[in-house]
Amino acid sequence: MALISPTILALRRDPRLLKLPPYLSALCIFIGAVWLCLLPLNEYSRRTYISENALLPGQVHTYFGGSEQNVFNAYKYEVQALVGKDQEAISTKLSDIFESAGLRPARQKYEYHAAGNTYSGENVYAILHAPRGDATEAILLVAAWTNMDGILNQSGVALALALARYFKRWSLWSKDIIILITGDSRAGPQAWVDAYHDEHSSPFVAPLPLKSGALQGVVVVDNALDHRFESLHIVYDGINGQLPNLDLFNTAVSIASGQLGIGVSLQRMWKHNDSYQERLQTMLRGMFSQGLGYSSGPHSSFVPYHVDAITLQAVGDGWQDEMAMGRCVESIFRSLNNLLEHFHQSFFFYLLMQADRFVSIGTYLPSAMLVAVNFTIMAIALWIRSGRPPAPKVASTMPEKQNPEMEIVQENNMTAITPKENLTILERQLFLPVTLVVSLHFLGAIPLYVFINSSHNTLPLYFLLFTFLNFFQPTVLATLIHRHTPLTPQHHLLLQSFSLLVLGIFLATLATLNFSLSLFVGLLSTPLSFTGNPFSSSVDAKDAIPSKTRQHIWTLVLQLLSPPVVVWAVCYIWGADLGEMLAEAAFGWKVNGLWTQVVIWCVWWPAWTVGGILVNPLL
Amino acid sequence: MACNPRNAFPGTVYNNADRALDLYGDNIEVDYRGYEVTVENFIRLLTDRLGEDVPRGKRLGSDGGSNVLVYMTGHGGNEFLKFQDSEEIGSWDLADAFEQMWEKKRYNEMLFMIDTCQANTLYKHFYSPNIIATGSSEIDQSSYSHHADNDVGVAVIDRWTYYNLDFLETQVTSPTSKLTLADLFGSYDESKIHSNPGYRWDLFPGGEEKGRERLVMDFFGNVQGVEVEGVGGNETEWREDMRRLEEIIYRARARGNMTGAKKSETPVEEVIAPGRDLGKGRVEGAAKIEGVEAWGQRVLGAGALLGCALIWGGASWLESR
Repeated sequence: MALISPTILALRRDPRLLKLPPYLSALCIFIGAVWLCLLPLNEYSRRTYISENALLPGQVHTYFGGSEQNVFNAYKYEVQALVGKDQEAISTKLSDIFESAGLRPARQKYEYHAAGNTYSGENVYAILHAPRGDATEAILLVAAWTNMDGILNQSGVALALALARYFKRWSLWSKDIIILITGDSRAGPQAWVDAYHDEHSSPFVAPLPLKSGALQGVVVVDNALDHRFESLHIVYDGINGQLPNLDLFNTAVSIASGQLGIGVSLQRMWKHNDSYQERLQTMLRGMFSQGLGYSSGPHSSFVPYHVDAITLQAVGDGWQDEMAMGRCVESIFRSLNNLLEHFHQSFFFYLLMQADRFVSIGTYLPSAMLVAVNFTIMAIALWIRSGRPPAPKVASTMPEKQNPEMEIVQENNMTAITPKENLTILERQLFLPVTLVVSLHFLGAIPLYVFINSSHNTLPLYFLLFTFLNFFQPTVLATLIHRHTPLTPQHHLLLQSFSLLVLGIFLATLATLNFSLSLFVGLLSTPLSFTGNPFSSSVDAKDAIPSKTRQHIWTLVLQLLSPPVVVWAVCYIWGADLGEMLAEAAFGWKVNGLWTQVVIWCVWWPAWTVGGILVNPLL
Repeated sequence: MACNPRNAFPGTVYNNADRALDLYGDNIEVDYRGYEVTVENFIRLLTDRLGEDVPRGKRLGSDGGSNVLVYMTGHGGNEFLKFQDSEEIGSWDLADAFEQMWEKKRYNEMLFMIDTCQANTLYKHFYSPNIIATGSSEIDQSSYSHHADNDVGVAVIDRWTYYNLDFLETQVTSPTSKLTLADLFGSYDESKIHSNPGYRWDLFPGGEEKGRERLVMDFFGNVQGVEVEGVGGNETEWREDMRRLEEIIYRARARGNMTGAKKSETPVEEVIAPGRDLGKGRVEGAAKIEGVEAWGQRVLGAGALLGCALIWGGASWLESR
């Protein structure tokens, strides 16, 4: 220790060391981005496998077929006859069908208000008690009356009803089976699962009259087609980017493709040719969906309750009939029936790039962490810089032989003579930077409040207005601050340091919860690390504040990467309607508990604002 | 297993997807089921470390004359076998449990059979005498299932178990079958079993040669053979033991000066076990000590108490003066 410490102490002041952080930071970003691109390669991803031995997917004969086809057709006819009827008629009919199958039906009304819209409807469900089991666990079969696109899920609902009748005849269920027909695909499942766990907000959501045990697995059938389908599209993203256990997904894939020979696709990649590009594209689509964190199907609402859920969606025009889909559900339910414990063996954090290929958290997490760490590194570097006195002025014309002032340091019986300059530490003016950073983060509550409480008619207008204001906002803030207290170079450094520190901490934490969101926000914020003069190491005025030209360039870059501009760009690229997207986000916050907006307005936007203020030429 | 709600055929366990032979039968008694099957319960059962309130049905009522068959199957690996999802029994655990059984005279001969992946590693550490061990697969070898029943949804039987059962069903046709372990082990066909079964003979007196002569029914059938007395070479041996025991009792009695020791009311349980007859004969057990001096001792004790009381009374009278 005694040998090491002087070396380290000397190294601490080494100007070369202080020049290092910006390069290190840039390297982190570079490695983080390259890391992500390497993931689809065979060497870095893995083939999926069934981790839980009890599942035994596809080991049973499926008997759903034959005369069940007639039952299904009859139910489908009944469902089609209900088109255009009011909710009461639909619910009554569904209840009657459940009753005729020997199951006890129950209903639940719900009503949500978000973005000026009313989302109301009624869930109808029935519980099939395990003939020889205890009622401590349940598995759930869901069919929404209308699918995510608002189209009548005619075959899906009829299939769920036919399966309910069919399952009733088996005596081998170890868990209760709940068959749930939700009023729609977004609000209905959320209302039901909230009420099932007594988390519902009365009086808008009614409590459930019938309940069973802990939910162990959920399968949603979505088949709005009126003809035979080609393949199954498995949707698995939950709210806030949470995912169901990979074993459930693998079971569905293995049964559909292995046992029944139905093609499987994910993330709307209908034709997957197993190339690097396709894999990367699938993975990025998955990450994008995860990053946005919105509800991608009726299953999404279940995932936050740690109930593993997936949606099976029939797509394309092929030769698979509804009975094949029914057999697939039957086989999945036989596998779920085998479970002794909750899904726990396989991964909860993964990125899928193909139906049978994935990367797990251990492999992909460093990517987002490295991007988040770059902010922390720069924050530390800026903190050190802010405490260093300006470099001694050296007259260039006359090299005056002047000895630097020396001072004797005594520590632990060791004496050293060091230049006085190395020992002086500038007092840091913390008040203004800390206040500014903290208040800006709280200021994010204003756009958050506006965008979750406005009506869907006014949302696009407000957003346009906000984009316009946001364009001038850093300039206005900079002017106000400058009038009040002119910022010193040290203020500049500290302001940036604190802002980056907060951003780094937030993103590193977020990376473990919602990897994709953290990575996207991190990558879009990378310029914030390098505004100012990152490669100088002192607190000098001319060093700390960049030149006018640079300021203009940085302002332009930051304006292009401002949160509202990015939202516009995303809408443009994906061809989404801005108003719908904002309404959906507001609905997500109110109904599903979606946190993406909080991250955008209270983490990203304040960090961006500080960056904008710092590069403002007026300052 | 038969009563698991997941069983598509309640109350039955079949050895084959053709569902011809119901292993559960009409008179099978399962003593430990479900989550009762733990390593601790198993070892307690073997070594009889059970409380007094445990019923006979949950005990292994074996003694020094019993032949014990231990057949284990499940998920295992190198020197372990899984119990439930949470614990496993190691080969040393088993070896020590068997040694305790031997010390407590809980078996005469033991046949240990195990069907799991790397099964032969599990009997590696046995060190107690009179054990014949066999397993389904060598180290780093998997033990495979025979076939699955697609209505039950699981593999119904393992290969090695299947061929053992096949042998017992087809070859061992009567309780008096004279087929030996050599026949059973000889029936193993490695190309059918898909793994290499292993055997361990070195613990058995006489080694492989003697072990192979043991009848299958010695372990698998609840057959209680009777041998005619006086023919076996053990006759003189146990008579010698009895004589010595009598001597010891006689000497002890003389030393304790016991004159009226009664004969034990209960004779030692007669045990008739296959292969060895312990014979019968009345053994004098421990008896209650009853002596004539009892009254004299009581008088002496009362006198001593009286003396003490007198001394105490006299001393307090002297002190008060």
